[in-house]
Amino acid sequence: MSTIEVMPVPPTAGPLPPVPAADADRPAAKVRAFFRAWGLHLLLAIMAFGLTLPFLWMLLTSLKPLAEVGSDNWLPGSTLNIWQWHWHNYAEVFTTPGIHFTSWYANSLLIASWVTFLQLFTSSLAAFSFARLQWPGRDRVFLLYLATMMLPGLVMMVPNYQIMISLHLVDTFTGLIVPAAFTAFGTFLLRQFMLSIPTSIDEAAEIDGASKWRLYWDIILPLARPGLVALAIFTFIGNYQNIFWPLIMLRSTDKYTLPIGLMYFDSSRGQATQLLMAASAMMVIPLIIVFVVLQKQLVKGIQLGAVKG
Amino acid sequence: MNTTAASAPRKSRKAWRSFWVGIAFITPNILGFLAFTTIPLVLSLAMAFTNWDLKLQNMFKPDAHIQFVGLANFVHLITQPQFMTYLGNTLYLMMGIPFSIAASLFAAMMLSKDTRAGGGRTYLWLLASAGLLVGCLMLTVVGMGETAMVILLAGLAAVILLGGVLGGPTVYRTLFYLPNFTAGVATLLLWKKLYNPQTGPVNYALSPLLDGLSAAVRPTPPLVFTILAWVLLALMLLVLFLGLKRLSTMWRDGDLGWRAALLPVAVLAVPFVVTAFWSYGRPFLVPLAIGFAAVLVLAGARVWRAGRDFAAAAAEGFGNAIMLAALLMVVEFVCLGLAPVAAHLPAMAAAGLEPPGWLVDIYWAKPALMIMGFWAAVGSNNMLLYLAALTNVPQELYEAADIDGATRFQRFWNVTWPQLAPTTFFIVVMSVIGGLQGGFDAARVMTMGGPAGSTTTLSYFIYTEGFQTGRLGYASAVAWALFILVFIITMFNWRFGNRYVND
Repeated sequence: MSTIEVMPVPPTAGPLPPVPAADADRPAAKVRAFFRAWGLHLLLAIMAFGLTLPFLWMLLTSLKPLAEVGSDNWLPGSTLNIWQWHWHNYAEVFTTPGIHFTSWYANSLLIASWVTFLQLFTSSLAAFSFARLQWPGRDRVFLLYLATMMLPGLVMMVPNYQIMISLHLVDTFTGLIVPAAFTAFGTFLLRQFMLSIPTSIDEAAEIDGASKWRLYWDIILPLARPGLVALAIFTFIGNYQNIFWPLIMLRSTDKYTLPIGLMYFDSSRGQATQLLMAASAMMVIPLIIVFVVLQKQLVKGIQLGAVKG
Repeated sequence: MNTTAASAPRKSRKAWRSFWVGIAFITPNILGFLAFTTIPLVLSLAMAFTNWDLKLQNMFKPDAHIQFVGLANFVHLITQPQFMTYLGNTLYLMMGIPFSIAASLFAAMMLSKDTRAGGGRTYLWLLASAGLLVGCLMLTVVGMGETAMVILLAGLAAVILLGGVLGGPTVYRTLFYLPNFTAGVATLLLWKKLYNPQTGPVNYALSPLLDGLSAAVRPTPPLVFTILAWVLLALMLLVLFLGLKRLSTMWRDGDLGWRAALLPVAVLAVPFVVTAFWSYGRPFLVPLAIGFAAVLVLAGARVWRAGRDFAAAAAEGFGNAIMLAALLMVVEFVCLGLAPVAAHLPAMAAAGLEPPGWLVDIYWAKPALMIMGFWAAVGSNNMLLYLAALTNVPQELYEAADIDGATRFQRFWNVTWPQLAPTTFFIVVMSVIGGLQGGFDAARVMTMGGPAGSTTTLSYFIYTEGFQTGRLGYASAVAWALFILVFIITMFNWRFGNRYVND
């Protein structure tokens, strides 16, 4: 308000001595920039540290002998001597009778990939319609979509299972993949991302005579890439780890997914928490790869050069 | 839409065409939807009106038939106190949502910065963390006993720093998102160990702190704490007043419509209503009610006197107002909760302060779960969504703000926050839905819904009814009651929030 009149002229910022002012400023600015970079690193490292602890615990438990699994000491054998740690737990996961670790691994990856692919396709089509097209009743239909998310999924398990019986899809991969390929969640997520793309792009495309399909495939889909990537990450991880539905659906051992198969380690037939942890640690690897590869796309940002000209 | 259909046949033809094009795009999704969501939905609704009990009617008992019982399930639900208790638990736990959203936004903003830029002294970090790492490795070879765990954790810190310096934001992002890879159960089990009252590290760290506190409290005259309690209550009133003041300013400036202001004002008043039903709140009730009325009158007078500078549409500005109100409500609750603690502190300190039992304590179990939720929010899916949305904020807007000489907060409030609105809307809607349906995993893995049902949420209740006792009909009825609740709240979000987002 009145700051302009009151504000005193800083003595060093005057036009008279420019060179010493710059000299006096530079180290301070450097120190400030240094501490800013420092502080950010430190903050991120502290937060990352807190978030990594469960993973560390899992890794350390996977290297313990069975007798020590319940103990409160995180270290296997209470020692830092890594040669005394039970590395052979990892080999044991593959050799335990009744555990088809590699084929379950393959099943899990196959199912999660298919669901991700199908869901991205159906959700992005529907989201395009809800976000970028004008048609009567659009928002009402969308609300119905949204409403289906509001019933707890648990109570739909039983009716869904009966549908699977009547479609003869019990104990098949199709029965795991197809119901998961259509979600209101993905549609809602992508709709919100597509809403943030400026409408001027659609008008420009319409003037150029592009069809709606061209608009979807060539323009909106590339621009919605961060949303698609986010949905891909969520869907892949969610279905890779899904436990409830496969548990109901799968009968034959060779069709198990990893989370179902690994329950063997924690059952009455054999309590082997250290093997469960070792298997879980190995199960995480594809997720880390998928995430590291995809997250770069996530933060690339939209290139809006098309409209700015 | 109606006017276009009525005005001219050509236009109506165009409207129909756009309708069919719109439908064509949602067809693949909606076909699967009808089969795998809508039909189960209808079937579960039908189940809600039956007495289906897996113990009585199943494939091994072909003679038993499922009967329609009309509204009996719903009557049972309303007449039993359980449902309201568990609904209360669910709502209590949902108070953490505003903080969780803030935490994930904060984390996303930190992670969207390029940590490798600026300073140019990364080699110092490299040196320091490499030194730390080598030191840890050497100690590893020697094999330390007692301090081994500390060394290991220091080593982890060194590895994180080293990775962060070398790999930049990618490493931090991956580490932040790591809890999502470990399938939940491992994380929950670890938190259960952390919260263990006897052996957990949380209480191990807390008990010397509390000993120091009670040593400090004992010689202090009790009057100080009585005053402190009243100061806290005054603070609660102040928060209410500031919230109302802010809302009235928004109203005056034309940023908030009267209809959109109703719920935020009601939300701000919720803690005062709760006081009336809370046994520890009783002693403060009368002064608090007087203060509450005074603040209301004060704020009302302010609104009345100032008048309106700009008129707003009745439903405008709901999104910002409700976020503000929700945050302040939690602050009010914190003040309200601390006031009796302050009042009783001398008596408690005389007996010696004990760290809470966390998950085995009726009063502490829910806060414990909320702290865990806050921790999980830092590296959650919401963080990832915010991260993606942040990179889509046009850089020109920031440049324009810099030219205008905006402060850091102004940059955030006037550029970042409005640009994030569609994402925030999504996150709020999903958090509310998720919150009302939530608490299942934590209850199943960590507490079994206890102690004394204090962490049983509605979703865990549905699980125990439907899958443990087998009463599928009743479980469906609970689920549909929950559905109605979620639907009403989401409609509210939709009606106000969506307009705010899209305009």
